[in-house]
Amino acid sequence: MTAQTVSEKLPTKKTPTVQTSQWWRRLTDRRYLPTVGTVATLILLLVVGQLRYSTDDRSFISARLFSNLFIDNSYLLVLAIGMTFVIISGGIDLSVGGVVALTGLVVAKLLEGGAPLPLVLVLGVLVGTTIGTLIGVMVQYFKIQPFIASLAGLFLARGLANMIGTTAIGIKDEGFASLASWKIKFGEKPDIWYVNLSMIIALVVLLAAVYLLHYTRFGRTVYGLGAGDNGQAAGLMGLRPGATKMWVYVISGTCAGIGGLLFAFYTKSGYNLSGVGMELDAIASVVIGGALLSGGVGYVLGTFAGVTVYGLILTICNREGLEIWWNRILIGVILLGFVLLQRVLVAKRR
Amino acid sequence: MTGTVQVPTWVSRVTKHHLFWPVVALVALWIACGIVSPGFLDVKIVDGHLFGQLVDITRNSVTFLLLALGMCLVIATGGIDLSVGAVMAISLSVALTYIDNSGTGEQAGTALIAIALALAVAALVGAFNGFLVSGLGIQPFIATMIILVAGRGIALAFTGGQITTTHSAPFKSIGSGFVLGIPTPVVIGAVVFAAVAFSVRKTALGMLVESIGINRTASHMAGVRSRNITWLVYVICGLLAGLAGLVYGAPTMAADANNIGQLMELNAIMAVVIGGTKLDGGKFSLAGTIVGALILTTLDRAVIIFHLPSESKDLFKAIVVIAICIAGSERLRESVGLRRVPRLPEPPASRKSVEVAA
Amino acid sequence: MSLTSDSAPVVQMRGITIEFPGVRALDGVDLTLRPGEVHALMGENGAGKSTMIKALTGVYKIDAGEIRVADEPHQFHSTAEAQEAGISTVYQEVNLCSNLSVAENVMLGHEVRFGPFINWPATRRKAKEYLARLNLDIDPSSQLGTHSIAVQQLCSIARAMVVDARVLILDEPTSSLDKAEVAELFAVVRQLRDSGVAILFVSHFLEQVYEISDRMTILRNGRFVGEYLTAELPRIELISKMLGRAGDELAAIEAGAQRVAHDERQGTPLLSAVKLGREGSIEPVDLEVYEGEIVGFAGLLGSGRTELARLLYGADRADSGELTLFGENVKSAAPLSSLKGGLAYSTEDRKREGIIADLTVRENIALAIQASRGIWRRVPAKELDEVVDHYIEALNIQPPNPNMLIKNLSGGNQQKVLLARWLATSPRLIILDEPTRGIDIGAKAEIQRLVVELASQGMGVVFISSELEEVLRLSHRLVVLRDREKVGELTNGPDVTSSTVLETIAASGSDAA
Repeated sequence: MTAQTVSEKLPTKKTPTVQTSQWWRRLTDRRYLPTVGTVATLILLLVVGQLRYSTDDRSFISARLFSNLFIDNSYLLVLAIGMTFVIISGGIDLSVGGVVALTGLVVAKLLEGGAPLPLVLVLGVLVGTTIGTLIGVMVQYFKIQPFIASLAGLFLARGLANMIGTTAIGIKDEGFASLASWKIKFGEKPDIWYVNLSMIIALVVLLAAVYLLHYTRFGRTVYGLGAGDNGQAAGLMGLRPGATKMWVYVISGTCAGIGGLLFAFYTKSGYNLSGVGMELDAIASVVIGGALLSGGVGYVLGTFAGVTVYGLILTICNREGLEIWWNRILIGVILLGFVLLQRVLVAKRR
Repeated sequence: MTGTVQVPTWVSRVTKHHLFWPVVALVALWIACGIVSPGFLDVKIVDGHLFGQLVDITRNSVTFLLLALGMCLVIATGGIDLSVGAVMAISLSVALTYIDNSGTGEQAGTALIAIALALAVAALVGAFNGFLVSGLGIQPFIATMIILVAGRGIALAFTGGQITTTHSAPFKSIGSGFVLGIPTPVVIGAVVFAAVAFSVRKTALGMLVESIGINRTASHMAGVRSRNITWLVYVICGLLAGLAGLVYGAPTMAADANNIGQLMELNAIMAVVIGGTKLDGGKFSLAGTIVGALILTTLDRAVIIFHLPSESKDLFKAIVVIAICIAGSERLRESVGLRRVPRLPEPPASRKSVEVAA
Repeated sequence: MSLTSDSAPVVQMRGITIEFPGVRALDGVDLTLRPGEVHALMGENGAGKSTMIKALTGVYKIDAGEIRVADEPHQFHSTAEAQEAGISTVYQEVNLCSNLSVAENVMLGHEVRFGPFINWPATRRKAKEYLARLNLDIDPSSQLGTHSIAVQQLCSIARAMVVDARVLILDEPTSSLDKAEVAELFAVVRQLRDSGVAILFVSHFLEQVYEISDRMTILRNGRFVGEYLTAELPRIELISKMLGRAGDELAAIEAGAQRVAHDERQGTPLLSAVKLGREGSIEPVDLEVYEGEIVGFAGLLGSGRTELARLLYGADRADSGELTLFGENVKSAAPLSSLKGGLAYSTEDRKREGIIADLTVRENIALAIQASRGIWRRVPAKELDEVVDHYIEALNIQPPNPNMLIKNLSGGNQQKVLLARWLATSPRLIILDEPTRGIDIGAKAEIQRLVVELASQGMGVVFISSELEEVLRLSHRLVVLRDREKVGELTNGPDVTSSTVLETIAASGSDAA
């Protein structure tokens, strides 16, 4: 505590900061370093991909690459964004994979029963919101550790999904199918790429999250919760940490609901075993995106970069034609790499 | 340790004991099962072997118990080990692949080597986790998540992507045999529990682990070798997870690396928490983990007894966890020292009845 | 215009009673705050000062009594409500979010908006204005945690100004500040007072209370003792009212820890450091400590006192110089090896680096002996009981219950338990870093007496304290530190006074420039 006092007791005469060096100072600011690392890795992966997989008439880095990446991973992005809120607040939400399965099944079952599409979509998202609220209540009002509360949420969601059905239910609703396959085409052959509905939804969620987390008092309270004193300081500052803590889980649950919907768009079915381990993918992406699991540090855009890195790794695995289990091992190794990288960065800035 | 201290205020002492609600839940479950299925509580001796539903439950709970014992110590240091399920898969894959390749599976020596090899690999994985956590100072959640993500891939690499099935009577017996009429897994569980409890409570390990979990910096300043102890605890956890994998997989003799131990880390953590140990670290209860493991196994069985679809067991787990957590939540739990600690004046505990559905 | 003390009170608290399970923390306490006045709330640890503050700021619900703000009855349910009524608090341990920026900490809740968005540039500008009023020129976008405690404290005050506080509560604001910083803080406090803010000041430093306060309310054991004008209450009377003891008894305590002034250097030193230093932490230092000697580290906060102590104990690794402990050259010091060798270090930060909150007194005392024995050789219960009983009695630990959780003891008693932990390892040399900070006067005198006693039994003692008077009273020899450098060494004697020490510090200042 006393380790830093002398050099800047009361800095009454500090030279005014030169404007030009501002961005560089920002870049090396300890708060931004993990995210800078993520972006650097992203660039590295792109360069490696570009050098290895580009052919004379086709570049690896292309609109097509990113289009495919987000067609495959938009649901993960939404899950990870919700997770970002929870992790910054110093919590964890293990329920999201279960919620994805439950949402998918609820949607499939309701559509099978002939319920109107708009209602089904809203209900699907509300499934997530409900589970999230339940976790939030347990965490906030019963002071149950987030890990356990969301674990209960996971089992609850999986249990309910199992009750609904243990076989995959295909979604044949025409309206749903047309939403799922709706896309705008860009570019000319051979560089055709698409923007589909899932990508647009994910983008909207992303923008909403940036607004909420970075431009509102609520967002600042989320960071305050992660300061390591369980929101005490935030409370003493007159913010409302209690309600915020609860809302964080509601947001994550809702994102999981939306993610479940996007996953249903992607697979055009509902299945009680889908989304197993998806919470880990989401957490991994958030961590790769520069958030600290201890809370208080992280960015929505960092998470965006994290999901992109995650998707790129899978793409590269695929291109290398590796056996399927190498996927898991490689993601583990990359995760290890990231954790070590962050560790080094943290050590350096001390 | 079950805290039935006969003092004038024994009723309040008992109800405030950290194991009170878990034990109530377990007994309630058993009674409920006994009512629905009258033979449930019977224990018979057939051919000198113990048989019965309760015996089955105890046998099946050993996997949870082994995992939860290691997990309990890890949690006490303020950590968590998410890799135990994957370690189960790795250890079983190693053992069965070795037996399969040796071609002499029916010899006890081969089985022993397979077991030793599997446990060594499990301990190695534990050491890797411990190194990340205590050597490099990485958050336990994320450090052990690496094996959780990669572990099944490693297990698949051992089995070459197949479900390895093989034969070895001696190996199989650790999962389905009997010792003096008692199922072997139960004996293994009892011996391991005794060994862990002894080495934790009769040496200073327990206290030092708790002090690390409560305040690592202060412990370090008091000369506690917090790094080594943390490391040791992860190795123990890995080792026990490896053993759990063998006990779990031995009856079927099939190493299905994709599915063995799936969600086990969460079950183990649940058993620990149901047993009254806080996830924040510090005080821990080994006896509680037995109760926790038994509750989880009973739930699995209760679903069958109540003629419910077997898919619903996750739902019941969720309900029980929620019920126990809420019943034991802060008002009741906060001021109550978690283990063998004399108490201070405390706020009037609000009593909530647990509704154990099932 | 100066507001007289008869102006209408802004806060009136009457008959405040708060009960915790089994304890009546406050019992019918009154407190009146008037605008334009600095009011000191005095009392020993556990007298109920913090509880009183928390009652006023809505952290605790009051069980009986009445709070009137500007003659309106109020019952606050949260700090937010108290803040809306104009009551702001700067807490003992800075209670801001260290992971947020300075601007955020100062402005949150009152940030400049642009529609539904927070306008960050404007918010930062505004924060800078408020900080400038406190003569603080720091980058508002920098992270709060990277600044010193003093700066963080001022940020906290800036925050109070943003919310336009009519009442500002300063809870032990100076406990981590050096002299210049205190002066700076007091200037700000006076400025606020003159602008009509009512200030409630809580501090253990009597000099500061006399320097800044106009009036004081004294509490003892959760009860109201009285309200007095500071100028009319002699110091000795204040102390006796706080302690509830007669004045001559206090004189005896003072006498018990009388200044010792002789050179104790004999034989080989217990510890000798030659050019021991660590980059960015402390410049190379030469130091020797002999048997039976009390060496005081004098210097302001941040002068490197704790940093040096940590190097000696091996809590941090030295990157230059040599350290000899008990005649043996230490290659790589570490807490455990130091402890085994016979060197103990009682840390400065009791909460973070001292106590194991959820363990019992007994286990807390046992920790260091157990650690030096290793995991597998448990200290036999009987042997431990003897040790624990001995120290509970010898150090007068209250309540004398070894099975109580240490977190439930008062600060002074926690400190005594920690001392017991270190003394139980039978050290030949003990480093005491701020052993008397934040504890009540009675316990303080007991600890001072103990230090003298230990030295007279032949133990070497390194004594570190922010209170120069205390260091002067106890030490045989003083090592003077400034800006992470040893700048002098004084052998204590009648001619050494606090001004001599301050001169030593100041003299070196001119060289450095």
